[in-house]
Amino acid sequence: MVEQVAPEVGRSVIEVLDLLGVDVEYVDDQTCCGQPAFNSGFRSEAHPVAARFIDLFEKTTGPIVVPSGSCAAMVRNYYPQLFRGEPDLKSRAESVSERLYEFNEFVAKFFGTSALKGQTARSNTATYHKCCHLLREIKIDEEPIQMLDNVDGLEVVPLERADVCCGFGGSFSVKMADISTAILDEKLDYIKQSGADTVVAADTGCVFQMQGGLRRRGSSVRVVHIAEFLAESAKNAGAGK
Amino acid sequence: MTDRQQFIAGVSESLGRSVPVAPESIDETAFFESSSDAESRAKEITQDSTSRSDELLESLKVSATKNGWNIHSVGDSESAIGVIQDICDSKDVRSVLTSDHEALNQLNVSTALSLPEGSTIRSTDRELHENSVEDSKEEAFTADLGITGVDYGIAETGTVVIHPKNKVSRLVSLAPPVHIAVITKGQVLESLDELFAMERNDFHKGDLAGSMNLISGPSKTADIEGTTVTGIHGPLEVHLLILE
Amino acid sequence: MKPVTINFRDKASQTISDDQIQKSLEHVYTGFFKGRLAAASETDNWEALRSKGKAIKDHTIANLDYYLDLLATNVEKAGGKIHFASDAAEARKLIIDLAKEREVKTVIKSKSMVSEEMGLAEAMNDAGFETVETDLGEYIIQLAEETPYHLIAPAVHKSRTEVAKLLDESYQPGSEPPDATELTMMAREQLRDVFRRADMSVTGVNFAVAESGSIALVTNEGNGRMSTSVPRVHVAVMGMEKIVPSIQDLSTMLRILIRSATGQRISTYVTMVNGPRKPDEEEGPEEFHLVVLNNGRDKLLSDVFMREALNCIRCGACLNACPVYRKVGGHAYGWVYPGPIGALVSPVLTGLKDGKNLPNASSLCGACHDACPVKIDIPRMLLELRWRTAEGEKDPKEKSSSITERLVWKSWRIGMMGRKRFDLGARIAGWTLRPFTRNGWISKAPPPVGGWTSSRDFPAVSTRSLKSFVKSMKLGGGK
Repeated sequence: MVEQVAPEVGRSVIEVLDLLGVDVEYVDDQTCCGQPAFNSGFRSEAHPVAARFIDLFEKTTGPIVVPSGSCAAMVRNYYPQLFRGEPDLKSRAESVSERLYEFNEFVAKFFGTSALKGQTARSNTATYHKCCHLLREIKIDEEPIQMLDNVDGLEVVPLERADVCCGFGGSFSVKMADISTAILDEKLDYIKQSGADTVVAADTGCVFQMQGGLRRRGSSVRVVHIAEFLAESAKNAGAGK
Repeated sequence: MTDRQQFIAGVSESLGRSVPVAPESIDETAFFESSSDAESRAKEITQDSTSRSDELLESLKVSATKNGWNIHSVGDSESAIGVIQDICDSKDVRSVLTSDHEALNQLNVSTALSLPEGSTIRSTDRELHENSVEDSKEEAFTADLGITGVDYGIAETGTVVIHPKNKVSRLVSLAPPVHIAVITKGQVLESLDELFAMERNDFHKGDLAGSMNLISGPSKTADIEGTTVTGIHGPLEVHLLILE
Repeated sequence: MKPVTINFRDKASQTISDDQIQKSLEHVYTGFFKGRLAAASETDNWEALRSKGKAIKDHTIANLDYYLDLLATNVEKAGGKIHFASDAAEARKLIIDLAKEREVKTVIKSKSMVSEEMGLAEAMNDAGFETVETDLGEYIIQLAEETPYHLIAPAVHKSRTEVAKLLDESYQPGSEPPDATELTMMAREQLRDVFRRADMSVTGVNFAVAESGSIALVTNEGNGRMSTSVPRVHVAVMGMEKIVPSIQDLSTMLRILIRSATGQRISTYVTMVNGPRKPDEEEGPEEFHLVVLNNGRDKLLSDVFMREALNCIRCGACLNACPVYRKVGGHAYGWVYPGPIGALVSPVLTGLKDGKNLPNASSLCGACHDACPVKIDIPRMLLELRWRTAEGEKDPKEKSSSITERLVWKSWRIGMMGRKRFDLGARIAGWTLRPFTRNGWISKAPPPVGGWTSSRDFPAVSTRSLKSFVKSMKLGGGK
């Protein structure tokens, strides 16, 4: 999704890492981790795609950074299930997982949440939505908020029920559209209550869900991926010149 | 009708075997602990209960208050009767039912309490007779006040524990709208861990009570619009009378 | 109770647009969900208790044959009778026959999900026994002729007005209904008389103890205690998995059950029963019967990937945590068990084809897994069931995906297996959607993704891939 619909997120991740002094490589042939098919139950279709992911990425060295909690969780927690009964593939996947990190996880672990300074470009108040897989599978909770706290000129306000799902859930958002929307409506109500002009989140699917709903409501609240927000703020502070 | 053997065999089959096999022991369940372990644990608990009786009692008062018990602390029988008398007077109690417990018996409620003309004070400390079952129900369902002793208090949860048996009633603490539980210092256990350790020891001694009631406050429900209402099928009001 | 999950979507939609039920479902979050969190945070060793509870249940289920056998021996040793029923019909017959033999007229029922599985109250009423639900929530829905809406609070969806219509003969529709206290007192009076004359009680079992042949009942109202004190015959019904090895295990299990269910440290009453009353007791049942029910649980037990679902202690925490349950309510799930645990158990127990919607009715947010006192990995098992309905992995007859869906994923896979075709696919998608795109956004997409745009906008497919951007990026800024 980042690749074809939200490439600015991918660019931002690279920019942020670059600012932190990281040598970033991009694997040209990458396509997908296979999660969409896996979550829909089509493991026979997900399997070759996932195996291809391992083929490609095990040839790299050093940490692998993923701009999505759900993709990171897929590789780390669900590849073992997808490859059950295939000890070879499973152990190759485990080796890759060991050096695979979600973006926020990577920054917090290797650089700390105060490493990146910034100056807010377009937002006055921001609030943070806790994407489900990042929170529950990767166990990253307050770190992104700490990173936002380092952005000068930005007021970070709390979001009621920040840890309640936004209703995206992949194909759930289409297959069970009215339930997905009902859950989203509650999320958008709390976003409104927070008074923030910007919502920051760490998974593109959630960003689309919330932004798509807010636009339909005629709201001017912007929903943005944290990497994009941090990159934009860093550049605005004169970094990388 | 599926017989026991068939049923168990089916379960074994689901688990991939033909008959049950004694399990390997794990630490998390006390099942594999011996009866002598249970006995020494029970001894420890009894000692601890006695040596820390003040502390445990204070802890019980706090947790019981949170649960909606009305707490009364008294130093002697006279004051205890005074508390009961006050409750009777304020509620215009006409029929009292008491269960058989040592601490309660010593208060001599039947002689010490003074109630209006025509009132009754009955005790379940009596011999069984032909109509016992029906009579006891009738009494319990029509009594205004039930008074019992307890076998333990539990500090963690604000609970009193009663083991119904001969002369110790099930209904006296349940059917009347008001229940007074008489507890003495030294009866309080720290938590559910200790209670069930005591029960397990009783079981290993061949002495497990036929039933046990843990009572932690007035009966309540929140089934209508999530609003908590005190007093549905059990007592609406419960009093903990502490003899210190 | 007969399963009706084929109505899931319709019922879900209805509930979503019912303002009054949506308001009631809020209680599930503000009351039960928050209650559990508060109770957990004030319990120092909460995580250790969860791990212990999980270990006890894992061990018990892995040795279920041994512990059931032991339970049977000990129930009989304590003077009770144990009965085994393969299915609901057998259980019903057993209990009805017993009631007939004992010349029972009035039966009081305490809350029991297993008895709902059996449709017991209805069957007994049909067989001529006055059978009354005594848990207030169950009483209300019995009067309303409905099924439970939640594991712990069966009438959570009912407003005071609706309850008044059921309980209060003098209530005038349109007027302000009595408050909850007044309505509760009405129920107390109505049911008190029933308690008084009950000949037989049917209760559930929160935990059966193999070591001693005892059962433990958890209630707040007092009806469980009435059931074990007043009638001459007490029948306890349990799913075969509701067992723990030792009396001591109850301290762990009660702590995690009750705090997870309502946030209380302990329920008002916990009642242990070890056989019928002793010969020198005035009160209590003369007979104690324990009915152990299979009713399809062997399917879960023999299924190594689904067996964990039998660890469930029926606290309802997963329902309270679930953003889907909190919108669609209990009836949408179409059978006895709603919410995340229902989405697992119902399809397997009633047949996967019937319950195919349920494993898909989840955003896989994982809140249920977090909430479960015994750490049941519900999302893992939902995914397992999705695999079976999509591809018939365990049994080809369970496959219920459409040809279209299978083709979609096949083409997706083909598109993902090489970068060139991946890029080409994106270009095609971009062109296809161009007519629908305004200012970088799509507000009306074609099927099959039209469901999205019914309520949300969707961003346009980018004209450039990330890969092409990367090629032109100037890096080395942080050095």
